[in-house]
Amino acid sequence: MALLDINDLSVSFRTNDGVVQAVNNVSLSVDQGETLGVVGESGSGKSQLSFAIMGLLARNGQATGSVRFDGQEILNAPPKILNRIRAEKIAMIFQDPMTSLNPYMRVSDQMAEVLTLHKGMSRSKAVTESVRMLDAVKIPDAKGRVRLYPHEFSGGMRQRVMIAMALLCRPSLLIADEPTTALDVTVQAQIMTLLAELRREFGMAMILITHDLGVVAGSCERVAVMYGGRIRETGPVGPLFEAPAHPYTQGLLGAIPRIDQEGDELSAIPGSPPNMTRPPAGCAFEPRCPYRREDCACQRPMLDAFAPARARACFAPLDDVLQRRLPQAQTTMQGGQP
Amino acid sequence: MFAYIMRRLAVAVPTLLLLIVISFVLMHLAPGGPFSQERELPARVLANLNAKYGLDEPLWRQIVNYVYSIVIHFDFGPSFVYPDRTVNELLADGFPVTLTYGSLAFLAAVLVGVGLGVVAAIRHNSWLDYLAVGISIGAQVLPNFVMAPILVLFFTLTWRILPGGGWSFSDPSFWIMPVIALATSYMASIARITRSSMLEVLGSNHIRTARAKGMPEHRVILRHALKPAMLPVISYLGPVFVSMITGSVVIDIYFSTGGIGKAFVESALNRDYAVMMGVTILIGALTILFNLVVDILYAWIDPKIRY
Amino acid sequence: MVIEQEKMQRLATRMVEEEVKGRSPWADARKRFLRNKAAMAGLVILILVALFALFGDMLAVWSNEELDFSVMGQVATMGAPSLENGHYFGTDDLGRDLFSRTVQGTQISLMVGIVGAGIAVIVGTLYGATAGYVGGRTDQFMMRAVDILMSVPYMFVLILLLVMFGRSIAMLFLGIGLISWLEMSRIVRGQTLSLKNREFIEAARATGVSTWKIIIRHIVPNLLGVVAVYATLLVPLMILTESFISFLGLGVQEPLTSWGALISEGAGTMNYGTLWQLAFPLFFFVITLFGFFFVGDGLRDALDPKDR
Repeated sequence: MALLDINDLSVSFRTNDGVVQAVNNVSLSVDQGETLGVVGESGSGKSQLSFAIMGLLARNGQATGSVRFDGQEILNAPPKILNRIRAEKIAMIFQDPMTSLNPYMRVSDQMAEVLTLHKGMSRSKAVTESVRMLDAVKIPDAKGRVRLYPHEFSGGMRQRVMIAMALLCRPSLLIADEPTTALDVTVQAQIMTLLAELRREFGMAMILITHDLGVVAGSCERVAVMYGGRIRETGPVGPLFEAPAHPYTQGLLGAIPRIDQEGDELSAIPGSPPNMTRPPAGCAFEPRCPYRREDCACQRPMLDAFAPARARACFAPLDDVLQRRLPQAQTTMQGGQP
Repeated sequence: MFAYIMRRLAVAVPTLLLLIVISFVLMHLAPGGPFSQERELPARVLANLNAKYGLDEPLWRQIVNYVYSIVIHFDFGPSFVYPDRTVNELLADGFPVTLTYGSLAFLAAVLVGVGLGVVAAIRHNSWLDYLAVGISIGAQVLPNFVMAPILVLFFTLTWRILPGGGWSFSDPSFWIMPVIALATSYMASIARITRSSMLEVLGSNHIRTARAKGMPEHRVILRHALKPAMLPVISYLGPVFVSMITGSVVIDIYFSTGGIGKAFVESALNRDYAVMMGVTILIGALTILFNLVVDILYAWIDPKIRY
Repeated sequence: MVIEQEKMQRLATRMVEEEVKGRSPWADARKRFLRNKAAMAGLVILILVALFALFGDMLAVWSNEELDFSVMGQVATMGAPSLENGHYFGTDDLGRDLFSRTVQGTQISLMVGIVGAGIAVIVGTLYGATAGYVGGRTDQFMMRAVDILMSVPYMFVLILLLVMFGRSIAMLFLGIGLISWLEMSRIVRGQTLSLKNREFIEAARATGVSTWKIIIRHIVPNLLGVVAVYATLLVPLMILTESFISFLGLGVQEPLTSWGALISEGAGTMNYGTLWQLAFPLFFFVITLFGFFFVGDGLRDALDPKDR
């Protein structure tokens, strides 16, 4: 049985401009100890997906579907059940370590309260344990710095504090929502290495949410590519990167500069992500897709398995996409529709 | 922390001196001296009066004397209109009254306002929220001078359950209307500020982190949200304090409570500059002191403020 | 009543952000404002009150000064609001027509509010823009002065001034306007600081435009959003201040009158059973405050919508 089983999960928000569909019919699962990467541009719904799992949606958000953790339904579960799972079983680290730590509390207090809450530890014991965890995430002089406030740490150190705080109860699943986006490039690498080490050490499963395919390639076993709130392609990292079977995945990979292919033009995906207030009737990627066909605009492709452990949602023939054979009508269509 | 307080004091003290000097100079710029009345006083009498009050000395000398006696002896000198009474006596008469209903009104405004604002924010978009917003919007257009007659209309003239004026330290029924009249509009403003800052904090990232820790919502609010949500409220406390003291003038006049507001308005109508200046300076000093306390409170809550 | 400085600060930041992105923050603001029911209701109220102040005199049967001898001495019975004898709002204690007195009070209170807010906005904008633009020592000195002035109990100083220099309306305008520019100058200064290093300002400086001209031509227009919201929210505050002083009998003097003076009179006589003397001025006072309040809030929400 999978550790986390997400079935047909949808998330919508009521706003002044109408209902925004952030996540649509997403189904995913994560096994014990496995690392799943969820990739997409900003606004693809990947962060809302993670908030929905933890029951952390904003007030105007509404989630439907099912999320089972260890066989227990946790989507829209009452706070009592959720609070026993949060931090204890599923922990989360957030994108922006500057604002995700409470700026008005000492790190020691913020960390210790997790242990006093879930493990019933005394405060002093909880602080000792917190210091040990800060050591584990390689914060120098953890004992001396545990009494500081978050603003007295650098960005990378703050994210280490976040990670240490998340790991305090030894959760079996860690959800990392863009853990390195707000950090310097050199610090990014350090944090990713640290996460990989800790994951191995604690035997945790991890959902890594990111827009950075490079990060996924280095640390995940499986990937789900999201676009317009839907999963477009899933599969094991190796095959998916080698032979992307969805035009969007190809576009994402094409947008990465590669040192070994000098002279190749760095291609960006033309156009911009869809407006989720008025989701298109057909495939949301259609306006930007080089493989688009007539029925793409009015029909929505479903996620179909096409190889072991791989699936994609696209009408374009698999071979055409894999061989990068653009349809004949492409040139004229592009001329008529800028 | 000590250095921080010292630095704030270093600003506060010159401010106060400046206030004293400005009000003194203003008084001298005023057309006609304090003794220019409808009927001219004989020149000799005027000269005597001027000598008695030290008004014949050069201006700088008068300022120095005035500041000196206030700062060293806390002595505001004699009243210009009632020569047998000193400004100190007039202030001492009214001050305890003002302090009593003033601090009660201040507490009421802060406690009720914060409570209302927090509840509204927690129950955002519920009927409780709408009720709290309705009350706070409505009460904002009910300043003390509007509240006072409305309260009297109901509690005294219609239901006859509260005395319509006067003061007694032993009978709290005299306190009720002054406190409510003074507190209402500030209570509303504080509720408004609390609500919007609480909503903002509750939507912030570190609250999401706290929730992700599996804390029950009430602990998230008490431990993580309340403190930062109070910061805008705290910076509003200074202005509330000043406005409440100002409002106490209306209370003293309308309810005949006999606080320092009465001394101020009477002296304003009598052109008794000595008393007016005394009240202004006393209130200025209180304001500066209060702002100092607020600054320290703020620095204590927000660790990002460097001492 | 209070202007929430945090929200003003956020509005200011947002206006600069939008400028930097090259978008006009006003583009969608009008649409949002027109959709805001409270703001539209406030606007309608304000228009009606303004019409009342401008044309109310034409409807009045009695002038605001003449005494109606037929009701004198029995105001409680004869002076009640009535369409027959032309006292639509009844009479005051002396037998003067309350309708035309209310019209006059509305004129004066609105005028004090608008002129006072105007003075405050102009002084605050120029002061803040100058401090922010010139920077350095001057800025430090100017803002420290603001800090110091903030802790002065203004109402008392204002009353002191009114007593010493005579209770003229001009003094009232000036005094009320001069006490409210401090907070505003702080926000304007902050916004100026962030505008200062933008290309168009640097270009102007490079071509030798004088400091003063840059402030007036380039900085101030970019502050328009904040200034507009501030001005709208300051008017009711000014009206409150004026009414407060007039309530104490230290503001507008007879034969002139204002809402505060009328409320004071009405409050003084309400135990004689002449409640209308309190009710009518109070009604106009309250709805006008609401009006400005809703319009100002709506304007700010339109320029700085919460969900972007």
